[in-house]
Amino acid sequence: MERDSANDILTLDALADLRLLHLADSALPIGALAHSFGLESLTACEMLTTRDLPDFLRTYLEEAGMMEAVFCRAAFRLSAAAASDDEFAARWLALNNQLSARKPARESRAASASLGGNFLQVALNLADLPRAGVALSVSKRAASMAHHSTAFGLACGLLQFAEDRVVLVYLHQSVASLVSSCQRLLPLGQSEAARILWNLKPVIIDTANRSATCTPDDACCFMPLLDWGAMEHPALSTRLFIS
Amino acid sequence: MASVAENPRAITSEPWVPPRLRASLTLDFAHDEIAGHSVLAASRQEPPLKVVRAFTVQDGAALAHLHNVSGGLLGGDHLALKVNVGAGARVQMTTTGATRIYRQRHGALPTTQANEFAVNEGALLEYVPDSIIPFAGARFLQATTIHLAKGAGLFWWEILAPGREAHGEIFAYDSVEMKTDVVALGQPIASERVRIEPGKRSTPSFARLGPYRTWATFCIAHVGRSAAAWLALEHELREQTMALAKHGETLWGISALPAHGVMVRCVAVHGRRVLPGLQMLWQTAKRRLYGRDATPPRKVN
Repeated sequence: MERDSANDILTLDALADLRLLHLADSALPIGALAHSFGLESLTACEMLTTRDLPDFLRTYLEEAGMMEAVFCRAAFRLSAAAASDDEFAARWLALNNQLSARKPARESRAASASLGGNFLQVALNLADLPRAGVALSVSKRAASMAHHSTAFGLACGLLQFAEDRVVLVYLHQSVASLVSSCQRLLPLGQSEAARILWNLKPVIIDTANRSATCTPDDACCFMPLLDWGAMEHPALSTRLFIS
Repeated sequence: MASVAENPRAITSEPWVPPRLRASLTLDFAHDEIAGHSVLAASRQEPPLKVVRAFTVQDGAALAHLHNVSGGLLGGDHLALKVNVGAGARVQMTTTGATRIYRQRHGALPTTQANEFAVNEGALLEYVPDSIIPFAGARFLQATTIHLAKGAGLFWWEILAPGREAHGEIFAYDSVEMKTDVVALGQPIASERVRIEPGKRSTPSFARLGPYRTWATFCIAHVGRSAAAWLALEHELREQTMALAKHGETLWGISALPAHGVMVRCVAVHGRRVLPGLQMLWQTAKRRLYGRDATPPRKVN
């Protein structure tokens, strides 16, 4: 009997872990591979090279990663904190509008919203998540943006995954997506890309830990060169990526 | 002779921490229908913050120079600026020089400045200060909120220097934190949360400033204009910055905000290249949005 009970718990945990991995998989059809979030401009002018990449990604996690992790956590907790659908909808819009205002570059902002909307749609196709449906429809009605980090946090909160794991996995997939972009933009082989991502894991953990005690209003992000790259991406004459 | 009990400083080895200075400056601008221009209708001033008077500039705006009679912000100072721009008024604000943030005394709280602006219906605020220069050892926290009503306009920039460059102080300050929110019709359209701690986090990282030292941000807004109009202005300003930009010296980025405005970002190796560029973009945007020239404050003419 004890053994059966333990197995049940193991099965539930394993199912949650596998589903979380599924939602963070780069193969999830949300369009993540189409965006570089400004990296293409930085590599086009040779401001970012393969040699600089480990430091760049570490800083990315400390700044943008931290900010997105904080918003991911806020969205994760959103549904449980809202008594009614109306209250939830208002809070969802406010959180995403707050994040939109934190993204000065138009293309990166739109990219984040594109991934977020697609993510919610995919999640709705996979599981019965009524409040994800509310979030998607209210964002469309209000012509507001549903960002990737908030969409990911919301869906995973509704699926009752463990919050800290969700944030870790979100950060891991976002930085893995950037490494993947760099493989198409820079002379970066698979082995080196894998090594860079492997070495970033302590930074991912540190960022996730720091995000646990920070509010969206206090989460800082200072990445002027990446902002520049994202802002000037529309001016590139030849582009591999949408952003 | 004072006893030890009356003079505790005489027996303690702890460094003396100055009392925290709290001061505020409240300004209320209005459009004077009879005079046909904007005026400083009311003010409440506490030293060291001061506005001597408002001058009328060519386009009928009221120009106010913000003075800090102590010459800069001292460690532990807590200063507050509250500005109300009444409906239809046009206001230009600047500083009399760079805002110097002095080194903290040991044990002093960070220097803080809280700015709150309300730009009412149809009003315009042009906030075009000189740069902020944090000295070695300075700790500075600035929080700015700008509320824009229907039809309100904004030209607002900040320039952050790396320190006293001529003195050889480059990123020798402890920390600078800047929280800025531009809110239009109750919705945030631009929010910045900047925290720079050169001793803890590498400023020359290529994800932060790289080889650049001066950072500037310029928000241009006019509530109610269409997204297409902002996209057009983004393109126009970008064309203009192509002539200003030079890799390794100065970079300019322009992008439309979620609504009601565009954001300009600049990084430069030398701060002297920033202000002329900002003024050029200000000129272009003001002509496009208001059909009139921007008039730089007299000190920079």
